[in-house]
Amino acid sequence: MELSNEAVAVLGFVSLFVLMLLRVPVGMAMGLVGITGFGYITGFAPALKLVGQTTMRTVTDYSFGVIPMFLLMGAFVSVSGISRELFRAANTFVGHWKGGLGIATIAACGGFAAISGSSVATAATFSAVAYPEMRRHNYPQSFATGVIAVGGTLGAMLPPSTVLAVYGIITQQDIGKLFIAGIIPGLLAIVMHMITIAIIGVVKPGFLPEGPKASWRERAAAIRDVWSPLLLFVFVIGGLYGGFFIPTEAGAVGAVGAFLIGVLRGKLNKEGILQSLLQATRTAAAVFTVLIGALCFGYFLTVTQTPQHVTEFLTGLGIGPYGVLALILLMYLVLGCLMDAMAMVILTVPIVFPVIMALGFDPIWFGIIIVMTVELGLIHPPVGMNVFVIKSVIKDVTMSTIFKGVLPFVATDLVRLVLLILFPIIATWLPMRMLG
Amino acid sequence: MTSTPEVTADGALTGPPPPRKKNVMDRFIDSIEWIAAFFVGIVALNTFIAVFMRKFFAVTIPDYYNVGQFMLGVLIFWGIAATSYRGSHITVDLVWANATPKYQRWIDVFATLVLLFVVTVQTYTLFDKVVDTYNSGLVTMDLQLPVWPFFLLSWIGDGAAVLLIAIRTYRLVMHPEEMHEPKIKTAE
Repeated sequence: MELSNEAVAVLGFVSLFVLMLLRVPVGMAMGLVGITGFGYITGFAPALKLVGQTTMRTVTDYSFGVIPMFLLMGAFVSVSGISRELFRAANTFVGHWKGGLGIATIAACGGFAAISGSSVATAATFSAVAYPEMRRHNYPQSFATGVIAVGGTLGAMLPPSTVLAVYGIITQQDIGKLFIAGIIPGLLAIVMHMITIAIIGVVKPGFLPEGPKASWRERAAAIRDVWSPLLLFVFVIGGLYGGFFIPTEAGAVGAVGAFLIGVLRGKLNKEGILQSLLQATRTAAAVFTVLIGALCFGYFLTVTQTPQHVTEFLTGLGIGPYGVLALILLMYLVLGCLMDAMAMVILTVPIVFPVIMALGFDPIWFGIIIVMTVELGLIHPPVGMNVFVIKSVIKDVTMSTIFKGVLPFVATDLVRLVLLILFPIIATWLPMRMLG
Repeated sequence: MTSTPEVTADGALTGPPPPRKKNVMDRFIDSIEWIAAFFVGIVALNTFIAVFMRKFFAVTIPDYYNVGQFMLGVLIFWGIAATSYRGSHITVDLVWANATPKYQRWIDVFATLVLLFVVTVQTYTLFDKVVDTYNSGLVTMDLQLPVWPFFLLSWIGDGAAVLLIAIRTYRLVMHPEEMHEPKIKTAE
């Protein structure tokens, strides 16, 4: 019995979800289903030929080098202990405010995320750095964990974001422009989360304590510890914006710069260097595995014409472009309960992106919208990746406690999402002015 | 990331678990990881030097682009070997996280067997690519270096991945206590 292309597509998606739920690595599951489905329709000999060609073409694409290079920069900087120094610096300026340690955590998470590019790494790091300090000053457990969970999500938006780089690769958009497009929405997130903390302090008097006020001498000392990595970040992203570097070069300059800063400041020893190299290699390999799998799965989608069918279906609903967009975002929020940001982007963007193009939306803006939505998935109940990460680092804290602390920030993020949809210029203004 | 410290509910830090004594197989696995790590450093250095020379001395290093792209391939394949063994791939842990330890182990064994199958097929098909490249006589742009040795080096990394996944499968079935999954996967 010969199955129709539609039946093969449905069977393929069911198999993919079963394999993923059985913890087969997402990239491998996509590759296996993609090549098997493609082979069923076009023949297994060309399908197998495709594996070798796709794999080698993906891993030798120089522009994809942006991922390991920025990962290496992030690894060098985080192993050098920047997270603690950023937190200390932010704390000396705002720690004496009501909820000041929470505001300092958001600021430090923003700085760290801008360098590391990983949401879960940011959440895990600040669980060990900021949580003990907040508890020592009698901050409620729910608030402390909630702030760290939401601070972690900044890693997916502020450049260099690994998720945005992967989105750029899949949709063939300029990664440099995507990085730059994330700056204003990322800064907006930091400001809005800080305002949320201030509002919590006003609405619930006595809920958030104040810390001791630091002297200007202490503030100057704290700034001295963080200025060089932050300057490196500005140089690298500024170079990207000014057309001085392409993204891969910017990443390599950032990596070598972070290495030199770490060594010259005596913060990076032999063990730290090796640890950074290993961490960057493992993470890059994990990301490239899903990229290879996604490309193999893409061939399967092409032969089954799934994106065309989905586009026809959604545009034929008669609910208008924003109605379709709302449906897509709702799907992401639901998927956020099942899988992490990277898996969601890689699995869904090849199907959703043609719909977005057909509706006339800006691809760079949509990248930012997607990342914002998957960020929400990292923290919203019932399953949030960052919440799990925090629970794995902090003993004896319940999921419900963390979710309770996260809820006000989920509301803030929803407001920010609506703002981005209403005013796309927030994301597109900076990339439109890029040089080079 | 297995050495992530833990924090108690009242905020006290506890250190990472003490390191385990390593046997010959562990040292072999470590060596493969170090090779992968070495390649990432080489790629960064190659690009940095090329940018530095071009921007400040208007000098282009011959073949920096080709060497960079092929070394990227080498680093990724050797990295896949390290990642596959350590269980650092991006996975959906929803079912696994809610299963009992006994079922968690069987889920892991199943997932690793699928991984072994996929990477074995990939290694087989990549060998074809190496042979094709050798037969085509493809060379780099400036120095006319043959490309196939880079592809062969990548293929050896993929072969190492098959070997390490086989070791992982064996350990998951026979010695699960020797497997230590990372708590935090930075790719996610």
